[in-house]
Amino acid sequence: MKHISRRDFLRRASALSAMGAVSPLAMNLAGIGNAVAATAADYKALVCVYLTGGNDAYNTVLATDPASWGAYTQVRCQDPDPIGLREPGVQALRDSTAPFSDQLGGALPIAPMHNQGRSFALHPSMSGVRDLFESRRLAVVSNVGPLLRPTTKEDYDTRTALLPPRLFSHNDQQSVWQSLRGEGATAGWGGRLVEPFLADNGGSMFSSITMQGAAVWVNGVSLPSYQMAMTGPIRIGDADGLLFGSAVAQAKLEGIMRNARSTHVMAVDHAALSVRSNDAERILRDALPAAGAGPWGTPDVVPGAIDPLLAYTNPDNGLVEQNSLAAQMQTVLRTIAARGALGIKRQVFFVNLDGFDTHNEHARKHASLVARLSHALAYLDTTLRVMGLADNVTAFTASDFGRGFACNGDGTDHGWGGHHFVLGGAVRGGDVYGEFPSYGVSDTLGNYSSEDQLANGVLLPKLSVDQYGATLAQWFGQSAADSEKMFPNLTNFAVQNLGFMA
Amino acid sequence: MQGFQQGLLMPAGKRRAARWLTSAIAMAGLLAGCGGGGTSETAATAAAASERSGTLAARKRSESAVMPTRAEATRFLTQATFGAAEADIQRVMNAGYDAWLNDQFAMPANPSYYYNRYKAEDAEAKAGGTKVRAGGDTIFSSFYTRALTAPDQLRQRVSFALSQIMVVSALDVNGDNTAAVASYTDMLNRNAFGNYRSLLQDATLHPAMGDYLSHLKNRKEDNRIGRVPDQNFAREVMQLFSIGLVRLRLDGTPRLGADGKVMETYTQSDIIGLSRVFTGWSWGGPDTSEPRFNGLPSARDPERLHIPLQAYPQWHSTMEKTFLGVTIPAQATADPHASLKTALDTIANHPNVGPFIGRQLIQRLVTSNPNAGYVRRVANVFNNNGAGVRGDMKAVVRAVLLDSDARSTWAPKSPTFGKLKEPVLRLTAFLRHYGATSDSGRYLIVRTDDPGLALAQTPLRSNSVFNFYRPGYVPAGSQAGAQAMTVPEMQITHEGSVAGYVNYMRNVVDRGVGLKGVDNLGTRPDVQISVQAELGVSTDSAALVDMVMGKLLAGQSLPALRTEIIAAVDSMPLPRLKPDNSNLAWYETVQRRRVNIALLLTLASHEYLIQR
Repeated sequence: MKHISRRDFLRRASALSAMGAVSPLAMNLAGIGNAVAATAADYKALVCVYLTGGNDAYNTVLATDPASWGAYTQVRCQDPDPIGLREPGVQALRDSTAPFSDQLGGALPIAPMHNQGRSFALHPSMSGVRDLFESRRLAVVSNVGPLLRPTTKEDYDTRTALLPPRLFSHNDQQSVWQSLRGEGATAGWGGRLVEPFLADNGGSMFSSITMQGAAVWVNGVSLPSYQMAMTGPIRIGDADGLLFGSAVAQAKLEGIMRNARSTHVMAVDHAALSVRSNDAERILRDALPAAGAGPWGTPDVVPGAIDPLLAYTNPDNGLVEQNSLAAQMQTVLRTIAARGALGIKRQVFFVNLDGFDTHNEHARKHASLVARLSHALAYLDTTLRVMGLADNVTAFTASDFGRGFACNGDGTDHGWGGHHFVLGGAVRGGDVYGEFPSYGVSDTLGNYSSEDQLANGVLLPKLSVDQYGATLAQWFGQSAADSEKMFPNLTNFAVQNLGFMA
Repeated sequence: MQGFQQGLLMPAGKRRAARWLTSAIAMAGLLAGCGGGGTSETAATAAAASERSGTLAARKRSESAVMPTRAEATRFLTQATFGAAEADIQRVMNAGYDAWLNDQFAMPANPSYYYNRYKAEDAEAKAGGTKVRAGGDTIFSSFYTRALTAPDQLRQRVSFALSQIMVVSALDVNGDNTAAVASYTDMLNRNAFGNYRSLLQDATLHPAMGDYLSHLKNRKEDNRIGRVPDQNFAREVMQLFSIGLVRLRLDGTPRLGADGKVMETYTQSDIIGLSRVFTGWSWGGPDTSEPRFNGLPSARDPERLHIPLQAYPQWHSTMEKTFLGVTIPAQATADPHASLKTALDTIANHPNVGPFIGRQLIQRLVTSNPNAGYVRRVANVFNNNGAGVRGDMKAVVRAVLLDSDARSTWAPKSPTFGKLKEPVLRLTAFLRHYGATSDSGRYLIVRTDDPGLALAQTPLRSNSVFNFYRPGYVPAGSQAGAQAMTVPEMQITHEGSVAGYVNYMRNVVDRGVGLKGVDNLGTRPDVQISVQAELGVSTDSAALVDMVMGKLLAGQSLPALRTEIIAAVDSMPLPRLKPDNSNLAWYETVQRRRVNIALLLTLASHEYLIQR
């Protein structure tokens, strides 16, 4: 069956709407925006790089000044399974029997423009991020977490502080980071951020895209996100458009999926989703450039083989493996490349890397994860620069929470604040934003000597998700007044734009 | 709910009346306090009320002869099994729900099917004589073998539900440790009709759980080097396996404090206190030596992945342990068993457990968004089975399945009742309805995670301890979401997966499913369906479609869907068979295509995907 033209598609969509067969979820969205080529000048995208499980900030950005390093080595570098990293300058030992931290070598020093009287380094498996930082394309935003208002250790310990709901719980803190509310929220600040620009995008359902899996961050109030499989959209049925040899059967199949024939809410919702799936694939089939047809990919990769651009070396085993985060970014980049055909001017993307809940075997698991993060960020930046879009796309990290300072044997437990990265040509990179926390040691009752560390060495955040998000949102085009509406705790903080975006 | 409990003990005639009374009370409650339901729930209730009065009158006319209809029996078995088999339908129609449940409860568990099979196939693989795949996929094939063929369907279905509440996942388990997941699944099977307290303890001390939530080899604090106990299990056992994050009323809704806000069940200090309880537990075996604690190769019991964790007092924290309002005083001599007993008793007796676990079992078996009355009735049975026993899982399962909502005549017509069948259940039901057989006898269906190419779900292999989906998931931008309905299965349903599911089922219908033999080098997928009856009527598109819809959609009258499918089948007309049979092969190909079209279009329909 021939694929339909855009005009046919629009006619069909409106006909379906008139029949009442689709829910608002499908009705208010078109697949294609204004069919004018969006130029680089009027395109912006925000990419949320979500580190699922709670990234260990302590081993991601390290404070290497003597006081901090002393506390770090005292708490984290204990036998039998040390989770601490080695100091900058230590050569990597190519000896698989050596302690893993020695095999990794020392942390990679970085020199921020404002060093706060401290010195800093990155995890040894993050040379890509180090290079981005040094070339001022990437910023570190330190000790960010959900906060309702500035909170002191005394406030927390005496339980006089107003605290965000359900701290330390994965699903709830994921939801708070993404939607500023606990689990059950249906709209996040990414989706809500792009929603006012829907008209500029011609109402396109591709305004808000998540790769692999539901994420509340990308959902608007009335704008559901489009969920894309890692390698691109999935076509219903065979490439020849026939089902068991019949074009009619194929059309009937799609019709049966697209129509609820019932008022049951799940049938209606599932039908609406099928409409979106079917229509989106039809559009992207033509609009999306192939994986090997641009700077985001390598031409003529044999099926089953790894595109070298998506391959990273896993520090855990030394093997060259596909980086699933880079693969998601490849599809993001292909979608960005299709922005003209899709008529998109403002767009939000959600990609995610899972596995950060490192309660055990922390050292090896975490090294492998941050290696992927580093490689994927470098790949994204390199490709965007070739595409001439480096200034138009900003990527930032988010995570459930940071982790405790203390070692639980060979791992770490849930925390609160954590350090994050912001990447792009519009980022005032090469610097560390926020007052970097001081690190202390624990007494016999588990109390830490630093005012920035709670029991277990959990970081008490100094910057709120509201401030972090509002700074990104204002780069995207949100007014300060609208930021105050969207980020409910923003006005409780003196500084409402952290200044890391140009 | 009182009426329902009495109902369990009453003679059959009175029981029915009591059940209707219960249902009326529940309805009144719904009408009075319709919080999240909104207008359509009220409309549904009104429609249901008139519907019910009619049915009640009909029942009064023939009080003595009331047995479930075929449609009712099929609906019940869709909730209670992996797909309604004809023999079970007959049993329910002839003897009633209670009798079928009693049959099921009476069947003993196969105590170690998964583990024994894992060991046997692993040994076979390691012997190297055949090219059997790595043992890891064995547990998925074991799952399908039991789901498709085991007579104790209710136990299998309930343990699948439990595997999604007290989650361990094969995803993060490496190599030989997969045997522990096999053994864990057996443990769920054994406990499915036992007591919740025993289930909680067996899950806690199972090496698969110890490995998964890292309380295995968890050492007590050491202030000298700053080590603290691992908090992972302490947190998740409360958040996910027992009480949840906020205090609940009996009906599962949050209990509010004087300030009108929800009240959290525990704080970080409870986690720290409870984390000390789960120190000093590691591999089972004949001694409690250091090498055994650490799992060194020199001290590994051959059954360590199967036998419970044991206590190592030398690594158990003796510090005071305070959690959930209970304090275990500092111990002069470490007593891990005493600590554990106090902790699990405290958790299992928390008033949240009934509504928290009850609601999830309702979601797994019957409906995604149960109303408060349904949850309350089930929680009441959890709290007391009628004989003073708390946590009797048999009674809870019975309460879930025989609840007035679950068995009402209004529910199947309600626009909100029921659930989106999770993908694995769509596959099992289809295979059971179509007499699936396994060439190897092993039902070699393996991983089906990929949402674009498969089912977005593999049993026993969720992404994390948070399961494939969350019980509180509210789909965004949807009609369900607008009514604040929880629909967990929608969390793994998206633009890619709706296409992936249909494409996957296309191949299942056409070729069968699973590896091509144990070496995956054979000529056809291991699991094959039988469509002989359909081929027999394939010349008549209406008869063909009626047969398929009769099996997969319980013979509901669905004229709009039927018309569409018939038109699709008719688009592939059978050629005239030549007298010399020279076009027989083509004729048979077209026959099969007609059957495949009827099957796939039915499997793709919302009528099949949604269990009402």
